[in-house]
Amino acid sequence: MSGVNRLPAPAGLLVDHDQPISFEFEGKRYEGLAGDCIASTLAANDQWLISRSFKYHRPRGVLTMAGQDANVLVQLPKDPNVLADRYPITEGLRVHGQNYKGSLEKDREAWIGMFSKFLPVGFYYKAFYKPKGAWEKWAPLIRRKAGLGVVDPTVDPGYYDKQYKFYDVVVIGGGPAGMQAAITAAQAGAEVLLVDENPVLGGSLTYARFDVDEPNSEVTRHRLLAAIEASEHIEVMTDATCNGWFTENWLAVIRGKRLYKVRAREVVLAAGAMEQPAIFGNNDLPGVMLGSAAQRLIRLYGVRPGRRAVVLTGNDDGYGVALDLAAVGIDVAAIVDMRSQSRSTVLVSAVRGRGIKVILGHTVYEAIGSDRHVKAVMVSRVIRRGQCESTGDVMDCDLLCVSVGYTPTYQLALHAGAKLHYDDDSAMLSISDVPEHMRLAGSVNSVYDLDAVLADGRRAGWLAADALGLKWEKEPPAPEETGAAGRNFAWPIFPHPNGKDFVDYDEDLQVADIINATRDGYEDVQLVKRYSTVGMGPSQGRNSALATARLVADAMGRPVAETGVTTARPPFAPERIAHCAGRSFYPERHSSMHHRHLEAGAQMLLAGVWLRPAYYGPKDERDRCMSEESLNVRNNVGLVDVSTLGGIDVRGPDAGEFLNRIYTFAYVKQQVGRGRYVAMTNEQGVVIDDGVACRFHEHLYYVTATTGGVDRVYQNMLRWNAQWRLNVDIGHVTNAWCGVNIAGPRSRDVLAKLCTDVDLSAEGFPYMGIREGRVAGIPARLLRVGFVGELGYEVHVPQHCGEALWDAMMEAGQAEGIRPFGIETQRLLRLEKGHIIVGQDTDAMSHPGEVHLAWAIARKKPFFVGGRSIQEIESRPLRRKLAGFVVNDLDAPIPQESHLVLRDSAMTGRVTSCYFSPTIGKPIGLAFMAPDQAVPGQTVTIKSTGGVLVSAEIVELPFYDPQNKRQEM
Amino acid sequence: MGTTQPAQHLRRSMIYRILAEAGAEFEVLADTAVAMRYADGGDEVALARRMGLADLSPLSRTGFKGRDTPDWLVTQHVAIPDGPGQARRQSDGALVLRLSVDEHVIVSDLHARSELPARLEANWQLSAERMCYHMPRAESYCWFAITGECATEMLAKVCGVDLRVDKFDEGRIAQTSLARINAVIVRNDLGATPTFYVLADSASADYLWPCLVDAMQEFEGGIVGFAALRALV
Repeated sequence: MSGVNRLPAPAGLLVDHDQPISFEFEGKRYEGLAGDCIASTLAANDQWLISRSFKYHRPRGVLTMAGQDANVLVQLPKDPNVLADRYPITEGLRVHGQNYKGSLEKDREAWIGMFSKFLPVGFYYKAFYKPKGAWEKWAPLIRRKAGLGVVDPTVDPGYYDKQYKFYDVVVIGGGPAGMQAAITAAQAGAEVLLVDENPVLGGSLTYARFDVDEPNSEVTRHRLLAAIEASEHIEVMTDATCNGWFTENWLAVIRGKRLYKVRAREVVLAAGAMEQPAIFGNNDLPGVMLGSAAQRLIRLYGVRPGRRAVVLTGNDDGYGVALDLAAVGIDVAAIVDMRSQSRSTVLVSAVRGRGIKVILGHTVYEAIGSDRHVKAVMVSRVIRRGQCESTGDVMDCDLLCVSVGYTPTYQLALHAGAKLHYDDDSAMLSISDVPEHMRLAGSVNSVYDLDAVLADGRRAGWLAADALGLKWEKEPPAPEETGAAGRNFAWPIFPHPNGKDFVDYDEDLQVADIINATRDGYEDVQLVKRYSTVGMGPSQGRNSALATARLVADAMGRPVAETGVTTARPPFAPERIAHCAGRSFYPERHSSMHHRHLEAGAQMLLAGVWLRPAYYGPKDERDRCMSEESLNVRNNVGLVDVSTLGGIDVRGPDAGEFLNRIYTFAYVKQQVGRGRYVAMTNEQGVVIDDGVACRFHEHLYYVTATTGGVDRVYQNMLRWNAQWRLNVDIGHVTNAWCGVNIAGPRSRDVLAKLCTDVDLSAEGFPYMGIREGRVAGIPARLLRVGFVGELGYEVHVPQHCGEALWDAMMEAGQAEGIRPFGIETQRLLRLEKGHIIVGQDTDAMSHPGEVHLAWAIARKKPFFVGGRSIQEIESRPLRRKLAGFVVNDLDAPIPQESHLVLRDSAMTGRVTSCYFSPTIGKPIGLAFMAPDQAVPGQTVTIKSTGGVLVSAEIVELPFYDPQNKRQEM
Repeated sequence: MGTTQPAQHLRRSMIYRILAEAGAEFEVLADTAVAMRYADGGDEVALARRMGLADLSPLSRTGFKGRDTPDWLVTQHVAIPDGPGQARRQSDGALVLRLSVDEHVIVSDLHARSELPARLEANWQLSAERMCYHMPRAESYCWFAITGECATEMLAKVCGVDLRVDKFDEGRIAQTSLARINAVIVRNDLGATPTFYVLADSASADYLWPCLVDAMQEFEGGIVGFAALRALV
């Protein structure tokens, strides 16, 4: 027998009596059965204390057995705040209670509860926020005292992922209404997903009692299950929680470690109803639980919830609970019925027939505890609404079951925009204004009797199918008798003069807290929520929203219907960040030469989503590597991968005119076979990209763009031509081409070995010339450009041939001492040549005049994007200018990007680029500064690393080869 | 057709190293190497019927766009699809994908017998009179095939489009996001085996392939070679 309270086989729908499993709770070993959850196993072993409450460290145990309360939050080694009444046990599982100091049984901080009268609602706001700054000191202390489980930030959450799913109809809730709705919709031909959070379908059919004598719920469940299993159109997802409804029936369904992103054309919400607690003194003692919780323990887990019970009820369901308790041998001391009489004479005679005493017009005034468990209750006569005598009979019991009413499981409907209303006559909440393409069925729709529930499910399924255009049978009628009448007792709230009459178990809020919130001026239920934190705990008001609305209404002298309840937002249940994150996708782009860089020992850097080689060599030898690579380019020949540069083909009769409008320079008369610099400005005249336009054909320009800017350039081109309607086609061909830049005085020699169909001589292929030919047998576009300031060629070839080109180049250049150089080195080389990098040496305010690009503006053409703004800007005095500087003091710290340029102590600009130049023999850089500072020969001060002030001399640009003899050789 | 190594060819799949590490046996096809089968790959045909992933990037493909493209393709004896978002198989096995009214992609058959992509590229010329422009799709796209009865469920892990076979007919095209990168997905069943061609940024092939391999693990899927795909037809 797995525990003293375990009922003999075959009791317990979910458990397998032949498979014992043991686990640890608070260091003690317990035996359960396969299918047990933590709470059911502990209950079977007579361990009712499971955790401690949030604020007062009150002992807490089973309340709902449905994952609807925070009483049973426990700590696993890698997982805090696990619901013990849902989490299945596994062999060797180690579990602890939460929120205690010392031991769960003897919590050294339980004394806090004795001071609850001195910790009224809003206490924090009143006590700890003055004087100013006090809260910062109090907060850590208070947070240490309160709280839930402990997060271990070192835990690897494991593999989580996501999956899309698509259905005609998604039915949420696998109880009788949901099962019937799914069957009906599927019979009409709809593809249906039936989602339920429990391990098996059936909902209330698996635990509740619908009949006095012989329960037929299991027969009904099997009939529905058979129909579902026989249907090819129904997919069932158990152990799955629909955690949110989003626009257009996008449903977030979580099962295991996967978030399913479900799209439904129609939704049937059959999420059921949540039984509500009653409020009286010590209503949170372990051993006090909902009637449905006791029924779940008995029917689902085969666990006897106590030995001697009292049932407190305000409806007929409590009689069914008493019958279930008696059926498993529990001594039911009495049914304490708050009403003056029961609605069902059949039930009354049934329980009396079993010798159970029924006490009408009474309630439980308080639960009396001993050893952290209920040992008796005081039963008192109800005097009037919400008031009972303060004396009464004390009845011994170790179990108090409470059945006083329900609220619909409204959350998902409210996510979708439905409204929640209270009816003062029936004392029930109901849902209205359900949006299009969603339907309610069953108790969430305020339908309770089993036959009515099935009829309501059938109708909802039919309506969903009908909305899809699937005709199957004539429209089923709505059930006439719903069974809702008398289901909720109007006022199951009996405040106790000593408090401990909990409204919100999560936050340890008592009746007086809610009343006092209204007295503090928070008269609206939404304000009461924010002030008192009622409904803000892990169970999100499932057990407190209705009682809070009633109390606020009463305090304000309004009907509950006018008071309303707080709303609900996703998620329905706590969810892990890992579920939201899922399997992370971080796109990366690699050039076709990528693996050659890795093989050559490159240090890679991210440029947008591209991985590019920064330099080749050990990480801690960056400067040496860059120095060697740069000197090899200056003196020999180097090879750099430029595949990531943007490439756009602009083609058509108006291609030249198009470029004229898009870029600052002039292109209509550009010769075929020539390249020309392009600078793009936006409407404000700010430089946003640059590159080279290569005219390969009268009607074809191949335009390069920066790695990070090409997508924006392409979008700009499309956007502008949508207005201009020029006869051009714009093709984004960045990833169709890869390329290298072979640069250095010996680059021509190397290229000549591989390219025999192009005249590579200085005359035949001059600077800024472009050609088409074959390199290493690969068709290529060749651009003679000089970004690094040496004789050089960009060779662009089809993407899939890139590695072959790289191999051929490296092999051909062996005799010349070719070696690859990285992007960092390229940036150094271009800096020596005084070339700017858009985005690094420019910012969101940089116009051409500031950054030495005024020469690239064609003044005679009638229009280009940004031209008018540039005219305006140029008519005003220059406010800053990019200037080149050198640091002559070789012992000074080398300025870094964004270091400040000063005049006295005032900032006049910032450094945009700076490297130590092996060629120049000193640090060189570019910096924005005041125009009168940007005069060659001037000295400026740069605030460098550690606040060291460094003197820098302004020099003419470029730093290297001002006559351009090197690149034009 | 003999065994070879991709590095012996000028054209190389962007992921040939990954395929080689998986045990690919490469054979020459046209001007490049294709992964024909995998060592210890077991019954790749059965695998492909359940859940297979193959790299078709070495096969030829091309593209054309511009308002005169449909007319020009017709003059080239191409049977173009009736509308955007559809693909049409040609008599020689090639597949023509109509991405928009004016934009088409032409992909080879699995045996590379179709000469259509090459013929169209040879016949095309840039002209001021005709708004039809070549797009080098052989270079800009990598090309993968996802096959088998679990293909749609696997794709549902990385793509938000409903690709179930009863909802996404053969010949339909989705231009969408796949594992956060742009992709063209076309359903082109191989025999009775549901098959989806994926055309995506070639520079992202190194990234996308492992994503797809990861997604198919739970379906006990695997990498398959050309031989297995051909056997499906």
